[in-house]
Amino acid sequence: MNPMPPQDPRAEHALLARMKAGDESAFVALYRIHKDAVYRFALLYCGAPAAAADVTQDTFMHLMAKPGQFDPARGSVGAWLCGVARMLARRQMGLREQARDPGDLGDDLDPAPEQVDHDTPLERVLRGEAAEQVRLAIARLAPHYRDVLILCELSGLSYAEAAQVCGLEIGTVRSRLARARSALAQRLAPFHHGAEEAVS
Amino acid sequence: MSTVEPVDSHLAALRADLDAVRAPAALEGALLARFAPAQGRRPSLWWMPPLALAATVAMVSWTIRAPMPQRPAQPFVAPVDPGPFLALRPLERIALEPAARVVATEFPRALLADWGLPVAPDRADEPVRAEMLYSAEGEALAVRIIQ
Repeated sequence: MNPMPPQDPRAEHALLARMKAGDESAFVALYRIHKDAVYRFALLYCGAPAAAADVTQDTFMHLMAKPGQFDPARGSVGAWLCGVARMLARRQMGLREQARDPGDLGDDLDPAPEQVDHDTPLERVLRGEAAEQVRLAIARLAPHYRDVLILCELSGLSYAEAAQVCGLEIGTVRSRLARARSALAQRLAPFHHGAEEAVS
Repeated sequence: MSTVEPVDSHLAALRADLDAVRAPAALEGALLARFAPAQGRRPSLWWMPPLALAATVAMVSWTIRAPMPQRPAQPFVAPVDPGPFLALRPLERIALEPAARVVATEFPRALLADWGLPVAPDRADEPVRAEMLYSAEGEALAVRIIQ
């Protein structure tokens, strides 16, 4: 996967300045740099393409309406857009995603109905839906684990950037990522065993 | 097998799958349609406030930097000290006068001799400007020669 694309910060800041001055081509350039990464991030969060498209559009609407909120000292444009998309996705997913004390949360969470399938592991392997199975397993993780897993493992953000997006300490990001990976491994274990049986 | 390897391989599979995912093409057009309104349309006379500000700054800068007009040099003239009054009456009398007044006047230089002051004979006819200190009744109490 191509995560948040690495960019020359000065070039992006120059584009942002031009966009603030009303230069439409600068906005287009920024959009084309980050659109796919933001959409993938939103898709992982929301699980549905239509919702991900809405989140992506709203994220870039936020960019054009409030570019002054971006602080170069706090991270890259890509990470900032990621944070905006995360906020919008959480809002779209409703109260279930409201921040709670992680101590009150389990490792897993009941997924939305559209995020659940009822096929057996063998059927999924036969249809070549391994990636989809992983996505569904991630969707079932508790939000505080899913956050760091998507940000660090699938969106290419550094621990520092993920900490900035989530409002956490870097150490907390590391520990949550470790627990997220563990929870994901448990969630995927039946699928893994099923795949091995199918191969043998 | 450890749990690390399956998780890494599963995540790699998902990354590879996501590589093919692209944002819907229709999004760009929809966003561009909203770009101009989001940026806000400038009012018709938007240039007036900046122009007024620039003119003000230019005027203030010119005023500060322009050399101040200098007055032509005037020769230094020390103020003329007319000197002290010469008492024509006892000091106690002058001190007790409640309403003394000073009157500028001019008289023949020869009159100075009447008050015991020296007068050059060849200048006796010249006028002398002086200030006289008079009492309320018009009595000359003191005199000060000005020229």
